[in-house]
Amino acid sequence: MRRALVLAAVLTLALAHAASADEAGDDARLNARLAPDVAREVSALVREARTAGLPTDPLIARAFEGASRGADAAGIVAGVRRQATAQAAARGALGAGTQGDEIVAAASAVLAGVPADSLAHLRLARPGGNLVIPLVVLCDLVARGVPADTASVAVVTAARAGATDNALLRLRERIHTGIENGGAPGVTVNLVVRQWLQQSPGGSRHAEPGSEKKRSH
Amino acid sequence: MADRSDLEDTSARLDEVVRAAYRQPSAADEPARTRLLARLASETGAARGFRGWFAVREYHARPVWVAATLVAVLAAGVWLGVRLAGPSNAARVVARGSAAATAAAAAGTAPVTFVLRAPGATRVSVVGDFNNWDAEATPMMHSGSGDLWVLNLRLPRGMHLYSFVLDGSEWRPDPSAPLAADGSFGGHNSVIVVEGAKGL
Repeated sequence: MRRALVLAAVLTLALAHAASADEAGDDARLNARLAPDVAREVSALVREARTAGLPTDPLIARAFEGASRGADAAGIVAGVRRQATAQAAARGALGAGTQGDEIVAAASAVLAGVPADSLAHLRLARPGGNLVIPLVVLCDLVARGVPADTASVAVVTAARAGATDNALLRLRERIHTGIENGGAPGVTVNLVVRQWLQQSPGGSRHAEPGSEKKRSH
Repeated sequence: MADRSDLEDTSARLDEVVRAAYRQPSAADEPARTRLLARLASETGAARGFRGWFAVREYHARPVWVAATLVAVLAAGVWLGVRLAGPSNAARVVARGSAAATAAAAAGTAPVTFVLRAPGATRVSVVGDFNNWDAEATPMMHSGSGDLWVLNLRLPRGMHLYSFVLDGSEWRPDPSAPLAADGSFGGHNSVIVVEGAKGL
């Protein structure tokens, strides 16, 4: 029993040491790059995120991106706060077991305007599967002008029909090409995904974009 | 017959003598006992060391200490899980386009080639979460023909945001990679996913 206690004490000390080392490392990085008051505010947001079990590196990266893009102090802090809020919303929508990269990708989708319930539908469409690529594709479509609802329905429908990551990336490229050739973003998405559903094995068994929304919302 | 009887008596006495001799402690018994005890003591000493951690023993633990130990071990497991699940490992690049991809896993990173056509630019660099968005950290090389700028990097597994910086001031997303949301600083970044063993 004494041995178990020693092990527990060592583990506890190691945990405490690692946590404080993480904080010290983050503070050092922030102080080396940002003005002291900005670094202090960002550090507080990073600590909150760590306490909540959310990824912290994206917050620091966001602060550095703001500094590199020439944002002022308030803009940097606001950008980091938006990222933190989006990450919390993303994890809330996707569930507690969501991986770090999924949270970051989903936060990007949230920042792009994708509704949180669309993220939950995407999780249901791929239970147990990784959502990074579907979320990246979803965010890309919205960033290219596809209405968030239309993009969400398209990606959820394709995922529910069994689209692999590679299939989703190919869909994205076809949509991108269609938009570059003058197609209206929303129309192009519906057209490309409908074609894919008709051609993919088993795809015709699933709902087409448009009907999905009525069923799931 | 008498001879036979005498022989049997002699044999019986001889047996008794031999049995009695075996019942007596031998001359070497005490030193052997001492050696045996010494060896046992040394082995017990060894068991207190490294092998002692694996020895099967009987423990009497108070429930409160058992609970404390379990909580500590669980906390360590959760912490390790969070650390290992973080966005930092790799093997295959999924993002298509000019920041495309060859794979080959090696110690959690994978080679990535960034390519940008930038007519008129005199200096191009890549900025991203992998270099702290430092425009001076990762310059691209002019290909020597046309307007192509190229950079080979090894990136950790996971999702990365990046952008190109032309002539130190013009930020431009990768034209053929997926776009990320506008991160509140007035421009889109590009996304690259370096795939690995985490099920990406």
